[in-house]
Amino acid sequence: MAQPTPLCEVKDIVQDFRRPSGQTLRVLDGVSLTVNEHEVVALLGPSGCGKSTVLRILAGLIPATAGSVSNQGAPLTGRNEDVAMVFQSFALYPWMTARENIEAVLRAQGLSEDKVKERTDQVIKVVGLTGFANSHPREMSGGMKQRIGIARAISVDRKLLFMDEPFSQVDALTAESLRSEVLDLWAPVDRNPSSILMVSHDIKEVVYMADRIVIFGTNPGRIRKIIDNHLPRPRDYRSPEFLQLVDHIHDIITGMELPDAAPLAAATPAGEIEQLPPVIPSEIVGLIEYLEARRGQEDVFRIATDTAREFGEIISVVKAAEVLDLVDTPKRLVVLTAEGRKFAKALAEERRSIWRSCLMSLQIFKTLHAMISRQPTHEIDREIVEETIILAMPHEDYARQFMTIIAWARYGNMLSYDETTEKVSLSEGNGTGNGGSHGSTPAPTVTPSA
Amino acid sequence: MVARLKRIWGGALAGERSSQKPPGWFDFLLLIGVFGLFYGLFHIAGQWSSVMRAKVEIDLSPWMLPWYTFQSLMRGIFAYVLSLIFTLIYGYWAAKDARAERILVPILDILQSIPVLGFMPGLVLALVALFPTSNTGLELAAVLMIFTSQVWNMTFSFYRSIQTVPREQQEAAQVFGFTWLQKFGRVEVPFATLGLVWNSMMSMAGGWFFLTVSESFTLGDQDFRLPGLGSYMQAATAQENTAAQIYAIIAMMVMVVSLDQLLWRPMVAWAQKFRVEEGGGGEVASSWFLEWLQRSHLLSRAQSVAFWVGRPCARFARTVGRQLKGLRRSMVRPAFPLADDAAASNSRSHPVASAFSLCMLIALVVLMAWGAVELMRLLRQVHLQTWEEIAASGGITFARVFTAVVLGTLWTLPAGLIIGLSPRLSRILQPIIQIAASFPASMLFVIVVGALYSCGLPLGFSSIVLMMLGTQWYILFNVIAGAMTIPADLREAARAYGIVGFQRFRILYFPAIFPYLVTGWVTAMGGAWNASIVAELMTTKAGELSTVGLGAMISKAATSSDMPTLAASVVGMSFIVVGINRTVWRRLYRISETTYCIDK
Repeated sequence: MAQPTPLCEVKDIVQDFRRPSGQTLRVLDGVSLTVNEHEVVALLGPSGCGKSTVLRILAGLIPATAGSVSNQGAPLTGRNEDVAMVFQSFALYPWMTARENIEAVLRAQGLSEDKVKERTDQVIKVVGLTGFANSHPREMSGGMKQRIGIARAISVDRKLLFMDEPFSQVDALTAESLRSEVLDLWAPVDRNPSSILMVSHDIKEVVYMADRIVIFGTNPGRIRKIIDNHLPRPRDYRSPEFLQLVDHIHDIITGMELPDAAPLAAATPAGEIEQLPPVIPSEIVGLIEYLEARRGQEDVFRIATDTAREFGEIISVVKAAEVLDLVDTPKRLVVLTAEGRKFAKALAEERRSIWRSCLMSLQIFKTLHAMISRQPTHEIDREIVEETIILAMPHEDYARQFMTIIAWARYGNMLSYDETTEKVSLSEGNGTGNGGSHGSTPAPTVTPSA
Repeated sequence: MVARLKRIWGGALAGERSSQKPPGWFDFLLLIGVFGLFYGLFHIAGQWSSVMRAKVEIDLSPWMLPWYTFQSLMRGIFAYVLSLIFTLIYGYWAAKDARAERILVPILDILQSIPVLGFMPGLVLALVALFPTSNTGLELAAVLMIFTSQVWNMTFSFYRSIQTVPREQQEAAQVFGFTWLQKFGRVEVPFATLGLVWNSMMSMAGGWFFLTVSESFTLGDQDFRLPGLGSYMQAATAQENTAAQIYAIIAMMVMVVSLDQLLWRPMVAWAQKFRVEEGGGGEVASSWFLEWLQRSHLLSRAQSVAFWVGRPCARFARTVGRQLKGLRRSMVRPAFPLADDAAASNSRSHPVASAFSLCMLIALVVLMAWGAVELMRLLRQVHLQTWEEIAASGGITFARVFTAVVLGTLWTLPAGLIIGLSPRLSRILQPIIQIAASFPASMLFVIVVGALYSCGLPLGFSSIVLMMLGTQWYILFNVIAGAMTIPADLREAARAYGIVGFQRFRILYFPAIFPYLVTGWVTAMGGAWNASIVAELMTTKAGELSTVGLGAMISKAATSSDMPTLAASVVGMSFIVVGINRTVWRRLYRISETTYCIDK
């Protein structure tokens, strides 16, 4: 095979975003990626891993903080003129009809009026919306809107078609047909778009569409693995090779997101604060209940399918339960631990005390508990807690981390937080200082063993 | 819903005819209207260019009223056009240039707090000096005074809208290479249109409120009076001609109602296409006039003529434009297929635009510095005694403004809730309230003051009623809007648990409409401060009637041309208003955004 011709490329890019609070967050770290002629590249990863940012950097919508961006061999400054884009929320202008939305874009290219009309008719026909040309977007379903979005993108005849989660707001059946239609548009080698770069969190979708699958990891966004997909087209969702590749990707993702090594709490050096996945307690409890109803174990991707959630979100919940030592994750399985089983069987009051003892095995809660107990007023400012978080993990979104800590502690009836005074205090009647013991409040001093 | 509205508004006027098609005489009336407009404008143009007459004798005959009213109307519309141009430029600049924004927005905040008389002497002196021989200077001064009572809220609305254009819509414009002009015309202005139309209605009403002040004013020993409805009312009051006063009120009503039916309703109905939210639901505004216009034979004829004439012209212009572009492109860089120089304007701010913006900003800062120096020079002449007087009368006026807002809230809160919670009532009453709110309460002041005076209430108290008359509508509108958005499930829950009467008000209605109420209060209070200049001092046949207050002080200083006192009292009022905005209102806004925010 001949050497592929690169169309656009990023090398070692870093992207920092400044939050309104002034804190800088690293979204991308050392990402390098090339899109070659005539291929479909998919960026796969949980939301918040920066894959959409890579897309926007390559489109020239936002400048990278560091690293180089090039298009057709020349450094990219400003908008990338070879890119047409399809958006997650369609980004059609509601005050224009379908037709006018496309015409406006073509006029911006400086085409003559006759050419504009001709091209508009042509692309509307291609996406099969001739009868809806004069409708406004608000009269259309999500699928129809995205058809217009695709028509608009191909109308400008660019080499690169970028798609940002294009089918996530389209119903499942329509998405199915749109995927193959987009591939039909891309297939002729002598016609634009030459290549497609898409962002997705749907594993089957990317296996169906892409020649290369780029798997991203979070915190900060990094490329974890690039998989070449040589399955012949048109692809069959149920062929063994297809399923095998999906399976392989499942393994890769669980391997990097839920490693079989010691759980996070134990892996964190003594005295250091653990990072908590931003998940609310009811989701963790829900996961425990779900597992309990399935004899204590299930495949993590099966859980995602069953609950109709993005796999990234489910992985976060699993991680959170793992931090609390309620589940274990051998390979792709999620298994209840002894503690998890006990929790599942317990009644409300007992659950809280188990939860509380799980929290107290984490350094962050030990530290907070000690800090608050030391205060004569038994309360501390939110700011102090946040400073503690910043010191331990400068790159984490401290406000989000704070809210997670409070939510977890509130569920265990351990801490309370007053939004108006922004003060954190110990909850009344919580079993203070009983560290790792599982007793409910108050801890009995003498317990006869017999 | 739409059909019913059509029946109410269209049917009532079209009689038995279907509201779909305009009656046969519609085209005829339209034609007469257009010719009448041109004739009137021609006449006005003649008047502008004629020799300057500082004080026109006002003929109190009712037959002269249509002509006076027409002139006032044209002043209002001219001022509105200026407001719109200012809004588009200033709002765009503030929204697009972060550096400029930091200066432009506070300036707007301050300008908003300055009552119309604060601008009067400067405008009149400057413009009369600019056009010493013709009437143009005076007319322009009147137009600009109306402008100052129209423009600020429009600019704020536009500025905020541009900032809230959804991110992906901006990105789409960028990816597909819209030029800044295309982005402005096809994305940003459409997005802002709906808010701008509503604010335009409010602004027009605000302009009429100060019509009397804008058309007849005294500056030192010189009286100025321009022919118009405001002057007519002023003359009628001065001569205590009750019949003429009533004529003027009727003329104003006719003007307000026709503007509402012929201009604002159609605008609102037309602006519906710029709604951003998805799906149907909600009331869709409609306008009989717009429908008739859209179906008028005459207009469709005119349109096709314009089309046949316009298309070749447009084509020619495009060809020339393309050739010019091609020329420029060949000079700048090699041509790309399909892409033209639109591509050159990438979204990261254009160096030329950014340099231009910086220059303008520097010019503005220099101008402001000069203004500040001049202001200081004026303020240095102010005695300590005057400052004390300003502080004292500021306190008194504040008490009045506050009382007016409280009194206004007392009746508008229950009334607005009843109207807003009943879809039937709000459908019927809202258009009527809109018209009532557009009617300038200042026209009624003299009558109200007279009536209250005979009840033994001096101006010091009746001015509170006057302020309330002018500003209660803002609260009412917002309460209605708030009540209409209370989610059905919250209301059902209250009903299901048997929460009734004051309990329901306390735990559901009041918290739910609180954010709207705050907006209403802010607008009403700002309006009340401005209204104080006409409410605390008025001229009758018996002479000047006034009470102690900052508004009266500004009025007196302006008419007696006492510049230092005028400057000091305007600065005082501005200081109080901006101060209250920055402290009280900002805090209440924050509370309403956190505690009382429903959609979360």
